[in-house]
Amino acid sequence: MNSSIVITGEGIVSAIGLDKLSVLRSLQEGKTGIGAMQYLDSVHKELPVGEVPLSNEEMKEQLGISGLASRTALMGILAIKQAIEEAKIQKGDKRIVLISGTTVGGMDLTERYYEELVHGDFKHLDCLEYHDCGGCTQFMANYFDIFSDYTTISTACSSAANALILGANLLKSGQADLVIAGGTEALSKFHLNGFNSLMILDKEVCRPFDATRAGLNLGEGAAFLVLETEESARQRDVPIHAYLNGYGNACDAFHQTATSENGEGAYLAMNEALRMAGILPSDVQYVNAHGTGTPNNDASESVALNRVFGIKMPLVSSTKSYTGHTTSASGSIESVISILALQHQFVPGNLCWKNPFNDGIIPTLGESHYELHHVLCNSFGFGGNDSSLLFSDRPTSVIDSIWSDREIKVLSKVEINSEEELAEIKQFVKPLEARRMGKLMKSSLLSSLKALQQAGIQCPDAIITGTSMGCLENSELLLNEIHEQGEQMIKPTLFMQSTHNTISSNIAIRLKCHGYNITYTQGDNSLDWALRDAKLLLRSGKAKTVLVGIHDETTPAFRDIMSRLGKKYDYSIHSLVMVLSCGN
Amino acid sequence: MDELIKQLKEQIIDVLNLEEMTPDDIDDQASLFGEDGIGLDSIDALELIVLLEKEYGIRLANPSEGKAIFKNVATIADFVSKNRKK
Repeated sequence: MNSSIVITGEGIVSAIGLDKLSVLRSLQEGKTGIGAMQYLDSVHKELPVGEVPLSNEEMKEQLGISGLASRTALMGILAIKQAIEEAKIQKGDKRIVLISGTTVGGMDLTERYYEELVHGDFKHLDCLEYHDCGGCTQFMANYFDIFSDYTTISTACSSAANALILGANLLKSGQADLVIAGGTEALSKFHLNGFNSLMILDKEVCRPFDATRAGLNLGEGAAFLVLETEESARQRDVPIHAYLNGYGNACDAFHQTATSENGEGAYLAMNEALRMAGILPSDVQYVNAHGTGTPNNDASESVALNRVFGIKMPLVSSTKSYTGHTTSASGSIESVISILALQHQFVPGNLCWKNPFNDGIIPTLGESHYELHHVLCNSFGFGGNDSSLLFSDRPTSVIDSIWSDREIKVLSKVEINSEEELAEIKQFVKPLEARRMGKLMKSSLLSSLKALQQAGIQCPDAIITGTSMGCLENSELLLNEIHEQGEQMIKPTLFMQSTHNTISSNIAIRLKCHGYNITYTQGDNSLDWALRDAKLLLRSGKAKTVLVGIHDETTPAFRDIMSRLGKKYDYSIHSLVMVLSCGN
Repeated sequence: MDELIKQLKEQIIDVLNLEEMTPDDIDDQASLFGEDGIGLDSIDALELIVLLEKEYGIRLANPSEGKAIFKNVATIADFVSKNRKK
């Protein structure tokens, strides 16, 4: 099907507003939502944050929800509700798919009851049902009862952008009639302390692209967008708010928590979005930058922007100085902001910017009236998971792939079932390189390298990973540190290897693979979703070879607690990897 | 000083999980970071900051301060001996 992908509804919940209109007002008035911590239960009150100005109880009351619910899911439901109401979506015979991006998931609940659980008090044991990211999405989907399918993407701070990309691909390949895609992320003590251990949180309000920038401020929120084909929007007679004409997903393949000096991943992602939309860099009027306010990101993103746009730099601003860095939700929150800019023909200013730095871009301080046709929205994540989306007020001659039913071959398959097998990693990796790898990192890397070796492929075109629970061991160790020594002296290595996408990016870094890179986490369906995406990619001709894998680990404490919920896990480590290929 | 240097090497091997390395493998003057040295990176530097605080009560507010201090084991020992609180 070669129809344009359009946006027909947007819902947003953030520090600068609980709906689209109030967000628009804050942006136009240059009002930040970053301030003193009110809702998060953390000792780090010195750190400003961008909190959604509602308590969990207030959200539950609005939504008619009683009992346990994670803040991530509650904010997500609020945003989805707005989006589907605006796009006039009702339960019916259409295939409606929910795609959510999150990394924190229900960690806010887990950390609240962790102390109880450690001390053998299992009163709130069922909080673990909502812990994992996929459980969070399932909770949101069940609330609405309109979705034929749902999944979760976890690529850290680009999760929501990648959710939109998958949504567009499902529509183009005819696998869905309507898609609700976006992301949601609540503040948690876990990731606040994690970012703090990386020493990249500013104690003042962040100043993206400023010479004196000293880090980011964390924010929270959710935003979801309704995606459909232009044809479907016309048939349903709903107004089109914007066109998603192009998108790119690339991997920086440089370091887990730092971006490369030449901004390779960011450059590739932006270029691909423009190429797909069939437009030139000079056609873009505004870039909503990732612009976190860390010295590293803003320097590297400036280099990438200069490489793409050269002397014809469009207006650029980071809106994280309004919302804070909403991590997994930032891709969709900033997509909604980009669409508001297009619809209202204005450009939000980069708050708090005063001093340029060497080779840094000069951001705009805002334009109340500005002619916009094409807006690029950047989202970059840890591990170098970089994505870029192009929103327009009109369709372009999208240069897209030709979808086919080409046969897909399995070139190799490798499985790891025990910790003993991991010793073999020494044949591939020096001890120094393996110094930070826990068993899941070793297992995923070893199985992938062996599968590629067997397939005779050095570097695949794409790496797609599924994991039902992610990096449990390091997450548990980090929770233990917070529990035992309070919120101080947290080991950065634990945080660095607690996000789901560490697995996939670790493989990419090792292979220097800059291609498409994504991580699915949807319980028992994680591998199915990874395979589904691999097939999409192969059949669209965008990749000739794809490395697909499912990787999971458990710990003794985890197995013990889960058995109380009637869930049996009989493995300590498990990896299954395949190299797939298609066409000639 | 020799005792402190040995202790630091053991602690570094432990917190950075430098398997198969012994204190004797690390020269006091060898660069800890970069390709021509042991090859540590920015995350290791942050781990060393945590190590200084945990073991010696020294708090670095800015990671950029670490650059000069973490040049090699001798520079760390020198800094620790002058600033340690425990």
